[in-house]
Amino acid sequence: MLKKIFRNPQAVIGLVMILFITLIALLASVLAPHDPMAVNISMKFLSPSSEYPLGTDQLGRCVLSRIIYGTRYSLGIAIPILFFLAVIGTTLGTLGAWLGGWFDRRLTIICNIFMAFPPLVVVLALIGVLGQGILNLIVAIIFSMWVWFVKVIRSYVLIEKNKDYVVASEIVGCNSAQILLRHILPNLFPVMIVYFSTGVASIILMISGYSFLGLGFGTDIPEWGAMLNAGKQCLYSKPMLIVYPGLCILFTASAFNLFGEALRDILSPEEV
Amino acid sequence: MKYLKKIISLLAVLIGVSILSFMMANISTIEPAEAIARRAYSNPTQEQIAKIRLEKGLDRPIAVQYIDWFSSSLQGDLGTSYQTNQPVVGEMADKLKATLSLTGAALFWVVIFVVPLSILSATEKNRFWDHLIRGITVLGISIPSFWLGFLLLIAFAISLPIFKVVDYGNINSLILPSITLALPVICSSVRILRATLLKNMKQDYVIYAKSRGLSSSRIMWKHILKNSLPPVVTIFFQNIGMMIAGSAIVETVFSWPGLGSYFVSSIINRDLPVINGCVLVFALIFVLANTVGELTNRMLNPRMISGKELVTIA
Repeated sequence: MLKKIFRNPQAVIGLVMILFITLIALLASVLAPHDPMAVNISMKFLSPSSEYPLGTDQLGRCVLSRIIYGTRYSLGIAIPILFFLAVIGTTLGTLGAWLGGWFDRRLTIICNIFMAFPPLVVVLALIGVLGQGILNLIVAIIFSMWVWFVKVIRSYVLIEKNKDYVVASEIVGCNSAQILLRHILPNLFPVMIVYFSTGVASIILMISGYSFLGLGFGTDIPEWGAMLNAGKQCLYSKPMLIVYPGLCILFTASAFNLFGEALRDILSPEEV
Repeated sequence: MKYLKKIISLLAVLIGVSILSFMMANISTIEPAEAIARRAYSNPTQEQIAKIRLEKGLDRPIAVQYIDWFSSSLQGDLGTSYQTNQPVVGEMADKLKATLSLTGAALFWVVIFVVPLSILSATEKNRFWDHLIRGITVLGISIPSFWLGFLLLIAFAISLPIFKVVDYGNINSLILPSITLALPVICSSVRILRATLLKNMKQDYVIYAKSRGLSSSRIMWKHILKNSLPPVVTIFFQNIGMMIAGSAIVETVFSWPGLGSYFVSSIINRDLPVINGCVLVFALIFVLANTVGELTNRMLNPRMISGKELVTIA
C-alpha cells in the first residue's frame, strides 16, 4: 500500500503539499517576519519590500505573516471538525448498517430529513441562531455535515458486511464487536481515508466561504477567508490583497484533493 | 403502489423539514420579541417587549406557534418580515426569480460543457487533453467560488472593462456570476462522468458493438454515454439544490439581488420569519430537485438497481 502511494506521482505531490502546509502551520511563529495582528496605520498598503515581502494590508499588517498564520486557522479548524465527523459518521454509520432493523430505519429517516438541507443553509441558519464565533461555526459545520458522513460510511459497511469473510468469521465464532473492530473497520480504513482527505478539502473551502460571508471570524484574525472579506473593500486599488489568501486556500484544498483522489485511483484501479 | 410509498415518505420528510427549520430559527439565543423591539425602539423597556410578544403571539408554546406557522404556510403565507414589514412570500418571489435565472444560466454551462469534456478526457486517456482536463478539474474543485468570482471581476470588469462590477437585469450581467457558480459543478461532474465512461468502455457490450461494425463515435454517444449518465444525472439534480442554496456566496460577490443574499442579510438582522421562510424554500427546492433526479434516472434506465446511491458532500 505505502509502496503504491510512493509510486503514484499525484499522491506524492499531494502528500508533499500537505506536509509543507503542516510544517508552515507548526513553524508559523518562527517563519512569520512580523506579528500578524500588529496594526500600524501609518504603514498601510505598502508595496512588497525586504521588510514586508508581500506588502501590508489596509491596517498596515504584514500580509506574509498573516498568510503564514492563516495555515494554523485553516488546518486547526478543519482537522478537529473532520475528527468529530469521522467519529460520528463511523459510529452511527457502522451501527446502522450492522444492526439494521428499527435503529437503521429511524437513522435513515433522520438522515433523509437532514439531507434535505443543503449544508450552507444549515450553517447559515445555525449561525443565525447561535450567533457568530469560531466555536459556533465549528458546531454548525459539524451539524450540517454529519449526515453525509453517516450515509457514506453506512453504505461502505453495508457492502462490506455481505462479503464472504464476514460470514466466515461468524462461523468461526467471532462476536459482532470482534468482526466490526478487527475485520470490517480495518478493511474499510483505506476508503475512509480517501473520503476524509477530500472531506478536509471541502471543509477548508466551507470555512473560508463562511468567514468570507462574515460569519465566524472577526477581521483581526488572520484567517484566509476573513482576509478575503476584508480585502474586498479594496478590490480596485489593491487586488493582490485578494489574490494571496485565495491562492493559499486553493493550494491547501488542492493538496488534500490530489492526495485523496490519487489514493482512490490506487485503491480501485479499474475506475482510472 | 411503489410511487404512493415514495410520495408518503417524501411528505414525511417534508413535514420533518418544516419542523426542523422552524425549530432551528426558534432556538435563538436572542428572544425574537426583543429583536423586534430593538428595531422599533433604540432601548426597549420590558413592557414594550412584552407588548410585542403578545402582539406577535410569541408568548404561546412553541408547538402552537409551529402549527400556526405551518397551517398559514400551507396557505402561502410565511408571515411578515420584521425588517421591512412586507409579506415574506412577496419579497421572496422576486428574489427567487433572480436566483433561478442565475442558476438556470449556470446549468446551461454545465449541460454544454460536461459531456463533451468528459468524452474527450476519457477517449484521450493519459494523453495531452486528458492531463489538461484532469489538471483543470482538480483546480476547479479546490477553488473557493467567491475567490474565482473576484478574479473574474478583476480580470473582466476592472482590467478589461467588458462587464460591469455591479450589474443586474440583462443577459450580460448573468455571464460572470453564472460561470462562477457553474465552474466547480462542471469540474466535479466531469471527474465523475469520466470515471464512469472509462468503466463502461471496458464492458462486453462495447466489444459486441464494435464487432457489429458500429463506428466508435456512435458507440460512445449512443451506448457508453447512455449507460454512464445515471450517476451524473443524480449529481446534476443534487447540484441544482446546492447551487440555489450556494448562491449566497456568489450573489454576495456580484451584489446579485437573489434569495441567497436575502437569506444572509436576514441572518445578520435576525429576521426570523425570513430565516424560517428561506430555510423552508431552500429545503423544498433541494428535496424536489433530488426527487426529480431520481425519477429521471428511473426513466433513463428502468433496470437501475434501486438503493444504489451516490453521495457527495457539498
